[in-house]
Amino acid sequence: MCMRCVELTRRSLLVGGAAAAASLHAGVAEARILPKEMVPLIGPGFKPVDRDEQGLWKEMERAEEEIAGSNLLIQDPQLTGYLKNIIGTVGGPAAQDFRIYLARIPDFNAMMFPSGFAVVFSGLLLRMRNEAQLAGVIAHESGHFLRRHMIRSWRDQRRKTDLFAIGSMLAGIGGAGAGVYLGDYVQLAELGTLLSLFQYSREMEAEADAMGARLVAEAGYTPIEMSNIWQQLIGEEAASAHYRRKNRHKGGLFDTHPSSDARMADLRADAAEVTVPGRTYNDYRDRYLSTIAEIRPTLLDDQVKLNDPGASQYLIETLAQDGWNGLLRFYEGEVWRLRNRPGDDVRAEQSYSAAVVYPDAPADAWRWHGISLMKRGRIAEAKAAFARYLTMKPDAPDAAWVRQMAG
Amino acid sequence: MRKWGLAIALAASVSTTACVQTKQYADLQFTPPQGDYKLLVLRPDVTVGSLTTGGMVEPRADWTDQARASIVAALRAQQASRGGQVTIVEHRNEVAGVTAQELADVERLNAAVDDSIVVHKYLGDYLPTKRGKGLDWTLGQDAVHLGQKSGYDYALFLHAEDEVASGGRIALGVLGLAGCFVGFCAPNVGGQQQLDYASLVDLKTGEVVWFNVVLAGSQVPGIKFGDLRTPQGATQMVERLLGRMKPGQAIRRGREVR
Amino acid sequence: MKADKTIAFLALPLALAGCGSSLGGSEYGFSPYALVRVQRVSVGDGNMTVVAPRPYNRHRRILFADVSDVEDWTQNGPILDGISFVSGMKNNRELIRQRRSASQQVPRFRSDMTAPEIAAMLESLYRVKGGAVDLKTLSLKPRPFLAANGFQWDYEHLDQDELWRRGRAVGAVIDGKLYMILFDAARSHYYDALLPDFEAIVASAERRG
Repeated sequence: MCMRCVELTRRSLLVGGAAAAASLHAGVAEARILPKEMVPLIGPGFKPVDRDEQGLWKEMERAEEEIAGSNLLIQDPQLTGYLKNIIGTVGGPAAQDFRIYLARIPDFNAMMFPSGFAVVFSGLLLRMRNEAQLAGVIAHESGHFLRRHMIRSWRDQRRKTDLFAIGSMLAGIGGAGAGVYLGDYVQLAELGTLLSLFQYSREMEAEADAMGARLVAEAGYTPIEMSNIWQQLIGEEAASAHYRRKNRHKGGLFDTHPSSDARMADLRADAAEVTVPGRTYNDYRDRYLSTIAEIRPTLLDDQVKLNDPGASQYLIETLAQDGWNGLLRFYEGEVWRLRNRPGDDVRAEQSYSAAVVYPDAPADAWRWHGISLMKRGRIAEAKAAFARYLTMKPDAPDAAWVRQMAG
Repeated sequence: MRKWGLAIALAASVSTTACVQTKQYADLQFTPPQGDYKLLVLRPDVTVGSLTTGGMVEPRADWTDQARASIVAALRAQQASRGGQVTIVEHRNEVAGVTAQELADVERLNAAVDDSIVVHKYLGDYLPTKRGKGLDWTLGQDAVHLGQKSGYDYALFLHAEDEVASGGRIALGVLGLAGCFVGFCAPNVGGQQQLDYASLVDLKTGEVVWFNVVLAGSQVPGIKFGDLRTPQGATQMVERLLGRMKPGQAIRRGREVR
Repeated sequence: MKADKTIAFLALPLALAGCGSSLGGSEYGFSPYALVRVQRVSVGDGNMTVVAPRPYNRHRRILFADVSDVEDWTQNGPILDGISFVSGMKNNRELIRQRRSASQQVPRFRSDMTAPEIAAMLESLYRVKGGAVDLKTLSLKPRPFLAANGFQWDYEHLDQDELWRRGRAVGAVIDGKLYMILFDAARSHYYDALLPDFEAIVASAERRG
């Protein structure tokens, strides 16, 4: 808990550096790019021929080896196979060339690397409400690759930095400071600097959106879901900011985190365009929910424990649009308990009470229900809740403490 | 690109005159390996890029390959002259008797230990309890098990990073220096720099017995130091980094007494 | 993303020095660490005293940046191991200084917190500030501390440098104030090597006033 030290040493480049690279949070064009204009610029089995691109691929080969060997990845074959199938469906001509990895990082993010492998953050799986949304994000990432955005942005950046050497030196230092943490040499670390070079332009983001919309529709996914992702992201950001009494950040001309609103609007128009009358589209919600069912408690746990109450509460309410259950009620209580403002103990208590009524209430809901009852002085009820917890989870790591409470 | 932050911290401290620095630390009881020993070199991390005019590092696959080959050759030659048998592995699954997972765990701990050594021995966050104790860090049983399972006596972790000035860069050198007047020096205003470090782990005890950092840099573009792509440059680097491996203080004192 | 300070920037003042000193010329210059000798010393804001079984390195407090009732020690550097003391933290205080505007917050301490709530507060600290991607409770059990009914929480966490670390926190809430000693180290080697030190320090702990 050397507080300062923890901060100094343990943040990662994948998170820091990749945020710069990322894909999802950047870019909007003034004029909408039409999906029908978006044709893939490469075919199956693409290999680089230019010297600079070959150099890039060489670095990326090593990067991929590091990422594939990272213990931050979720290796569950059911989940990774599922992602592989999706990118194989919406990957266009490169569908069979892509590799895709799932990293356990509770952020809304996914990224495509220049040599054709993608990394999806687990926080994305928590936020998507159906397979069409997940496919939309993956199709967007595929779009970056199919439109050769990495090498284009790299060359563009190079041209620009040659013009503004001093300015870019300053920017480079700032970037290195934000994304690269000394003493934090994740094997993934070396990506940090490289990735920061692939800040896609707004135009490229718009291209990837349009390309993605087209790929998704061709695969039979409900096209409008891609736009709904942005609606959810806007809602989450606004909710998070609202709790901190700030206004949600809105994109300006020189903003590197530009407006999600504009993208949502463009994607809505795209969806209308790519929809073929008479064809049926599906969002595959049931298949999505059953695939992530097992990991969902972990995803919720990772999110809620970051104690970003606005965002967490928004997410839970969004997921609850498909129906409240014991799991969601329990985590709603966790959000209040961790926020811990006056009155939050009562809110948490109510959520726990509501959670344990559902048959799917997790064991932890009973424990926290017991603790909140105990604090209220309702000892007999508290003991019953603790007993229930111990029955459900006899090997609980905190059984010794709970037994003492249960008296 | 790895250890970029480190490169910044160390390079920022290079003055405007050209200089090459090394500083090594050794366990007090350390004797450089001689005679019949088996050395495992783990995934040497070598990157060579071209510094563009704007100060971006452009990775060059061909240069990196050349540099890696040169360093590996120089390393083999140098260790052979001491009598050691060297195995250089490029991938985690190449060490017989050791799983990729086990090797990964040793590498991860080593990264944390190397970071600690750099922070607490080179960057000024000195730990009072370690004063005058030479090098006092260990990888513990993980490294001992690696030695037992693989049959190696030592493991060497090596990192080399080199940037070669491209044509346009040299012309902008003067402007680069101007950056220093506005309050800081950009890390890569130098035409070329090289940051290498190596750590040697005794697989019998798990101790990090020797550590060295070489920083070669020039704030004035156009002045060249060992270019890692060439056999000469690579040999020079290996020599600088590993050649003058000094015994630990206790051993040196013992020799003086004798 | 949280833009954290890098040691790179702390090292920048060295830029003015020449070649000679830039790779760390002397081990005897000013260091952010001070020596802790083997004798009874007070920790944090002085409301708790301990005796270390061997010399330790105490991180000097940075005025305005640190919390006065938290103190950090290390043997091999905080990347590898650390022992932290919380010496009677009052209601509504926090373990670390943080910006009100940050989206993710380490929860404040409340006087009426039970052991699982304190453990959860620490878990958020590791996740929010340490970037832990996984944290598992290994055990939570009652344990007397400073002659009061306290707790012991054992846990391990995977951080973004891909290293598993293991920790043990021993603490108690006495008169509404949190007293706690916490040990966190690389799971491989460092945890086992230093656990006896931690236990000796916990056993030596006394409350003042």
